[in-house]
Amino acid sequence: MIRAGIRRVFALSLRGRRRWERDVEEEIMLHLTLRAEQLVAAGRSAEDAYAEAVRRFGPLDESRARMFDAARHRERHMQRTEWLADARQDLRFALHTLAGQKLWTAVTVLTLALGIGATTAVFSVVSTMILHPIAYPHADRIVLLYQQPSSGNNTGLQVTILPSARIMRAWRADAHSFEAIEAYNAGTAGMETDGDPSTVNTARVLPSFLSFAGERPLIGRMFTDGEAASKSHVVLLGESIWRQRFGSNPNVLGKYITLDGASYAIIGVLPAALQLPSASRNSSDMWLPLDIHDDQIGMYGIGRLRPGIATETAQRELDSIQTRIGNIQGDHATLNSIVMPPSSRVSYRDSLMLLTWAVALVLLVACANVAHLVLARSSTRQRELAIRAALGAGRWRIVRQLLAESLLIAATGTALGVFAGWIGLHVMISLRPSSLDSLKAARLDGTTLGIALAVGIASTVVFALLAAFRSGGSSSDALRTGSLTASSSRAQRRVRGLLVVTEMALSALLIVGATMLVRSVINLQSAKLGFEPHGLYSIKIPFEEAHISAPAARAAFTKAYLDRVRRIPAVTSLAATTSPPGWFFFDIGRLEIEGQPAPPATSTSFITANQTQNAFFATMRIPLVRGSLFTDTSATSTQVIVNASFARKTWPSGDAVGQRIRIVQTDSEPWLTVVGVAADAQTSGPLSEATAPVLYLPPGDRTWANVIIRTSGGAASLAPAVAILRQMGIRRPPTPASAEQVVDKAIDAPRFVMLLLTTFTVLALLLAAIGMYGVMSYRVAQTTREIGIRIALGATPARIGRTVLGSGVALAVGGAIVGLTAAAWGTRLIQAQLYGVSRLDPVAFTVGAVVLVGVAVLACVIPTRRALSIDPVSAIRAE
Amino acid sequence: MPRLTVLKGTLDVLVLRALSWTPMHGFEIVDWLERAGSGRLDIDDSALYQALYRLEERGLLAADWGVTENNRRARYYTLTPAGRTFLRAETKQWMQYAQTVTTILTAGKDAVPANAT
Repeated sequence: MIRAGIRRVFALSLRGRRRWERDVEEEIMLHLTLRAEQLVAAGRSAEDAYAEAVRRFGPLDESRARMFDAARHRERHMQRTEWLADARQDLRFALHTLAGQKLWTAVTVLTLALGIGATTAVFSVVSTMILHPIAYPHADRIVLLYQQPSSGNNTGLQVTILPSARIMRAWRADAHSFEAIEAYNAGTAGMETDGDPSTVNTARVLPSFLSFAGERPLIGRMFTDGEAASKSHVVLLGESIWRQRFGSNPNVLGKYITLDGASYAIIGVLPAALQLPSASRNSSDMWLPLDIHDDQIGMYGIGRLRPGIATETAQRELDSIQTRIGNIQGDHATLNSIVMPPSSRVSYRDSLMLLTWAVALVLLVACANVAHLVLARSSTRQRELAIRAALGAGRWRIVRQLLAESLLIAATGTALGVFAGWIGLHVMISLRPSSLDSLKAARLDGTTLGIALAVGIASTVVFALLAAFRSGGSSSDALRTGSLTASSSRAQRRVRGLLVVTEMALSALLIVGATMLVRSVINLQSAKLGFEPHGLYSIKIPFEEAHISAPAARAAFTKAYLDRVRRIPAVTSLAATTSPPGWFFFDIGRLEIEGQPAPPATSTSFITANQTQNAFFATMRIPLVRGSLFTDTSATSTQVIVNASFARKTWPSGDAVGQRIRIVQTDSEPWLTVVGVAADAQTSGPLSEATAPVLYLPPGDRTWANVIIRTSGGAASLAPAVAILRQMGIRRPPTPASAEQVVDKAIDAPRFVMLLLTTFTVLALLLAAIGMYGVMSYRVAQTTREIGIRIALGATPARIGRTVLGSGVALAVGGAIVGLTAAAWGTRLIQAQLYGVSRLDPVAFTVGAVVLVGVAVLACVIPTRRALSIDPVSAIRAE
Repeated sequence: MPRLTVLKGTLDVLVLRALSWTPMHGFEIVDWLERAGSGRLDIDDSALYQALYRLEERGLLAADWGVTENNRRARYYTLTPAGRTFLRAETKQWMQYAQTVTTILTAGKDAVPANAT
């Protein structure tokens, strides 16, 4: 009665509140009730007692609010503690459970680790090289600026041209599509410290480049526009050379160093983070002012687009500016502007993308594996879970338990995987081909780690949850039938079969691709190049360093050098040339052929022209197929030797010898008479165009800087050739370049890609085999009783074996059919990287099918033997 | 009879002391304190509850719902081991303090020892 009164008086509602609020209200109410009762017992009237109880309680609203606060706090704290305690218990239990199934746990964790490891390693490379190639501010709007001949490039090479200073100035002044355009150049210089010559990497930039790249000098200052324009001899050191060669000494400021014989004042040090946009370059040691008013030089361009401007728009604007000021080559060549994001200029971008796809397939196989490992386990645990549910474990509690186990596996697998990925990345970096040197910048970054984590958690947790919810549905069945096979429903069996087929299909796809690449590389290595790289070396005479610039002096120097090298015993032949293996030399003009209509003015093109001596052909071992060598090698000679493809293309029906051609620039050029036809030669390796036209011209009055030498000894036999250069006054003579290495280097990238793809294929195959093994073992275990009955009824071991093996092979064949079909379509992605292999190469497809089925049979061996060893009596009695 | 206002900070110790015998609910504690203090302590009932909540949050008390002799649901407070330790330390400190203050207030001028210099 009193309680009701209290409730009425204070309007305390006990409904619709949170628990802790209700608790507080109830406690206060009880207090007031007891106090009032106490007062009534002491003789007060009921009404009076309520009033007094409230008075004694003090400020009711205020204290209630405070008590609410305290209670809420307490509640939260308790929940947290409880949750933590539960989590700890879950984890401990999970550890215990997993420890009881060591093999299953190890296989699952390793599968996950392999998949994540491979993905992490490759994605680190992709992320560094393709997604974040240049680390300047607003990198998404950074574009590289080039020019390309708009037509008539028939050199067989992709030619990009550095815009001239004049064009660069116009672009900088007038292009509105850009927030900023920067120009730069890179090179090397000879530095002398204490009479010790060494070569350093130089970068030439404008003062504004520093803010464009978002950096500032470590010490000192950047040069000014004035200094750049007045060609001041000032230099900023790169951080690494400052630390290594100058002992991080801040007093270098104001000191002088000698670069290429001239003295430069050091005015600052730039941080190592500042890099030129071409990522493959080594870090710049010396930062020098770029003279943007020197119209003799070309320069690299890089720009930051205004937000929302498309590259096409920018390209059109640059083109129109260029048209307005006229081409630097006058009417000789028409050039287009090229505006492209740095990522599209990454070398072997296609190969990297291919590897990304490959590794994604590996990851898929790994996930499929984890999925059916989890599924298989969950079904064998149906009974355990059902018992726990029957003993009163809530559904959520069971789900939590499964979650804890999955998270534990995911965490271990991911950690191992990231570690494996880190190792893999470093292996990749150390194996990198020289043409993919920028690979060394690859790092494990946040994005990659995030993806690895997401994949790890998703693949385990999602399937564990699926399994959990399914198991919840059939828990009572599992108990009632009391049979292990209760849960092995037809649907589940189908899901597992499907997973194996998927894995097999993905593996087949990879095997086909890898086989094609292996065959490509074999073809590349054994390709007929049309010349003999073995024993062939080239030396570039560094005229600039020796300050020999007059053509006559260069020619005299070369002749003297050739005469002395010829006397080295091991040297069998040698020649001077503009184009040693690995190098091209172009003439620009219109190629006119006598007796054929003159080419239009717009057909100005690049023509590979090698100015060389007769001995070139013998030294290279390029045979002449028709005609003769030059008979006139004077400066006024008008003879030319062409390559076979050019001859065949130009004079398909007749003899090339005696025909006349000329390269027109100003229309005053003389006609050249073809005296011989040389066989086609791929002097830059098998990947260069074999049939591009090449003209060989007699030495004339041009000066060649390169000497090719054929020696019967190895590189060591050419040590005298280097010594001779030194005797002739060259202080830093170059080492002879091996033609074999040039050729080898040309295919080291395909070889690298092939190696990685093969690794991933083996990995995927291994995982798929584990998957197949798992499923087959599981099937045998599930059907132990059935097999036992069949043996008891007289089935021969051969019959039993055939059944088990047959179902495994059926899965593999299913996978192979799907995989090979996918490969027939998917190999178009790698078509561009194939050499001498059709994209429907029957060998690759056969290998794919045979290897796949072979591996599947191997994976079935143990489960089959287990099936054969089943003892019918115990198998039937076991249930 | 003059009523004494409870000094700041001492209510906590008094509450812990009350609970050192047996678990009690809020009203029992108030009742005990009033009787133990011979009705001379002037405590707002609400202040007591705030003290209880505060002590519970600090882990010196634990609380759980129970049933009174008259079958009413009530929140019973128990001293935790931490609370007991705290009570012992506080009591000791309080006794020393009270003794010192008492000594000073009751001593004659000469009773203060002379400086040893």
